[in-house]
Amino acid sequence: MNFLFGEKEERLRSEIREFVKENMPPDYIGNMFVEEESDEGWDFAMSMARKMAQKKWLVMSWPEEYGGMGASTWERVVLAEEAAYWGIPGLSMGISGTAWVGPTLMISGTKDQQDRFLPPIAAGEPDGVWCTGYSEPDAGSDLASLQTRAVRDGNEYIINGQKVWTSCAHLARWMWLICRTNSDAKKKHQGLSIFMVDMRSEGLTVNPLRNLVGGHVFNEVFFKDVRVPAENLVGRENEGWHQLMTALGFERGIAISFTASVRRKFDALVEYVKDAGLMSRPRVRAQLADLAVDIETARLLAYEPVCLAEEGIMNVHAASRDKANIDHLHEKLARVGTEILGAYSQLDYLHKDSKWTKLGGTFEHLYYYNVGMAIAAGTTYVQKNIVGQFGLQLPRSY
Amino acid sequence: MDYTFTKDQEMIRKSAREFFIKECPKDRVRELKDDPQAYDPLMWKKMVDLGFLGLIIPEMYGGMQGDLIELMIFTEELGRNLVPCPFFGTVVECTVPLLKFGTDPQKQKYLTGIAEKGAIWSLAQAEQVADFEAEDINLTAEADNGNFVLNGTKLFVPYAAEADFFIVAARTNKIGDPREGVTLFIVEAGAEGIGIEAMPTTARDCRGEVRFDGVRVTGDNVLGEQDQGWTILDTVLQHAAVFKAVEMSGGAQAVFDLTVNYARERKQFNKSIGSFQAVQHKLVDLLTLVDGLKYLVYEAAWHMNNGTSSRGLNSMAKVKANAVYHEVCHHGIVLHGAIGWTEEMDIGLYHIKTKAAQFDGGLSTLHLERIAAELEAYVPEYRKLYPG
Ligand SMILES: Cc1cc2nc3c(=O)[nH]c(=O)nc-3n(C[C@H](O)[C@H](O)[C@H](O)COP(=O)(O)OP(=O)(O)OC[C@H]3O[C@@H](n4cnc5c(N)ncnc54)[C@H](O)[C@@H]3O)c2cc1C
Repeated sequence: MNFLFGEKEERLRSEIREFVKENMPPDYIGNMFVEEESDEGWDFAMSMARKMAQKKWLVMSWPEEYGGMGASTWERVVLAEEAAYWGIPGLSMGISGTAWVGPTLMISGTKDQQDRFLPPIAAGEPDGVWCTGYSEPDAGSDLASLQTRAVRDGNEYIINGQKVWTSCAHLARWMWLICRTNSDAKKKHQGLSIFMVDMRSEGLTVNPLRNLVGGHVFNEVFFKDVRVPAENLVGRENEGWHQLMTALGFERGIAISFTASVRRKFDALVEYVKDAGLMSRPRVRAQLADLAVDIETARLLAYEPVCLAEEGIMNVHAASRDKANIDHLHEKLARVGTEILGAYSQLDYLHKDSKWTKLGGTFEHLYYYNVGMAIAAGTTYVQKNIVGQFGLQLPRSY
Repeated sequence: MDYTFTKDQEMIRKSAREFFIKECPKDRVRELKDDPQAYDPLMWKKMVDLGFLGLIIPEMYGGMQGDLIELMIFTEELGRNLVPCPFFGTVVECTVPLLKFGTDPQKQKYLTGIAEKGAIWSLAQAEQVADFEAEDINLTAEADNGNFVLNGTKLFVPYAAEADFFIVAARTNKIGDPREGVTLFIVEAGAEGIGIEAMPTTARDCRGEVRFDGVRVTGDNVLGEQDQGWTILDTVLQHAAVFKAVEMSGGAQAVFDLTVNYARERKQFNKSIGSFQAVQHKLVDLLTLVDGLKYLVYEAAWHMNNGTSSRGLNSMAKVKANAVYHEVCHHGIVLHGAIGWTEEMDIGLYHIKTKAAQFDGGLSTLHLERIAAELEAYVPEYRKLYPG
């Protein structure tokens, strides 16, 4: 048992902090999805991705031949924590290739696919930017009922249908797409396949969808006779569900970064409370203390699957447990933070530079965006279904 | 970071677990509820023979010389199996201060008695307000020719009627900061002038009021320095907070397991109730609480053992335990239905301990305030990088 990081990891932590000091604006607080919402945000994210790539940090756990440094799991944990704490953009949703496309390709991709797709991801190039096409208007939580179809035609597949809520589709060069290749399969999650689709393909259109506060995170994507070379099929035809589960496992294993970004916002809140002279208020003190307990607990929970994996034990439901836990933690932090900011929390985060805005609008942002985060990558409820069924071995509840 | 235990540590867990399952089945726990002694002296003797009482006592005083991780594992199993006995009061609240602050002759005399004979010790601290703050300590100790005379009343004293010794927190100086002017005394339970009355607690855990009516104590029986007792009490409270939280974590895990098993077996509408989503999601919430508590108390105990503990972390462990133990008992019983609300089911045996467990080592109001005080003094990482 040991509750400290090793020397090697702590050295990496200090190196990252040096890097932050040189390359990041001081007192920066990262907000979720902020990269894909504005041109400046995106340019900043891409520039940081390239700098991270030069350090071999962008995909540090990948083998060296693909631009990584074969880093240990715990080094990757440290990077995830630091990047989230300091708000270094370019490691998250916008560059989802680093998080799940790449790792899944390393497991299921052909050598040729790995050679083509991994290097641009590792280099933080625009050609390495991916979006993820799972959800459809009638297939959300029940993803396996998706309707978008791919039909083989010689050396190509022809795709027709629609995806929706596709984050980053307006910026991505590639889409990681799941669609139906066999409509006669016995079960609905059979007969699905994963394709890598060039976003510049003919017949593919991207329409922006604005969220309730006017931000542009996700899109709808239409496919009309879009032709995709057969070599862009990932794994075997009709076995896409398996790849999807692998990728989703990577996508949901985000609790470590989220806990660290929560910590950063909490730290700012505590400082604000002190500066504003609110620390003498018993309710505020109790609320902050209570949050501190939740944050520390979430941090320790997020390490659990890593610790077990190091012992060779796969704890698949833990990622879902922690995603649900973080959904609740986000909600609580947003609620308490905006309550403490009081009247000022009604200011629009899109005008974060206004002279009245506190803490760069990060709590106003969190207040509205944590709701979206509780839906993305599977809603809180769906995560709890997974934990109940696979973690507690209870019968399926729906 | 490493959440695993060594083989030796796993062995301790295994032998503790097997011992408790064999020696203290739930029917025995039920019987002890109606026994004013609230523990089984024969089982206590076996615990002494196996060295459990001397777990953290050095070999030179007859102990096993174990560390706090071993104590943590043992305490977690004790909580999991719900063993009514004066272990916590004797080992955590009294052995710890004797070890850390006792003189050599005191250690020789008293630690040996605990490790080898299973002497029962009890900390007599709480008075009228019973909130573990220094203002609550008003029992007086008047100096008299190198001796002291104690007058006052202590409440909620663990195993008051069974104790062989008390560590009594007394006021030796009433002027100024209440934290200065507290002195601890080692008092034999049979001393003249001591009167004990049982307090009727739901946990049936043999707590009592202990009255000190002109009780004479020699100067040799001061623990630590005169007027400096508050530091010792603070150390004790931090240990008590962490190890009571460990015990509660063990109990919470047991309650959770009972509940999940019941949800798998119990059928309504021709289905196991665990298949209903409301039930399943509540179980997942409880799992998250119980898992989180487990790692938080491990972390606090590990740092304590490593000499790197912090007041804030120790308080966090107790705040979390106080909340989770309540949640898992309350919702665990609701998930059982009416049968859960009877004496027949084991889950109720855990729930009747809730209020006592929350009190030992400090209630959440006290610990939330301690965490807040730590936050007040804390410099965030980003301020170290970008000084304000
Ligand atoms: C910010 C954001 C970014 C996103 N990015 C992407 C992306 O990049 N790519 C992509 O493919 N998708 C993306 N999504 C879509 C997301 O994955 C889906 O929204 C999500 O899976 C839920 O599907 P739905 O919206 O159709 O809701 P529905 O499935 O219709 O669910 C509606 C409600 O019913 C509940 N519900 C449904 N089924 C069950 C059940 N079995 N048990 C209990 N409750 C149930 C849900 O929890 C929810 O509360 C994003 C969503 C958001 C909000």
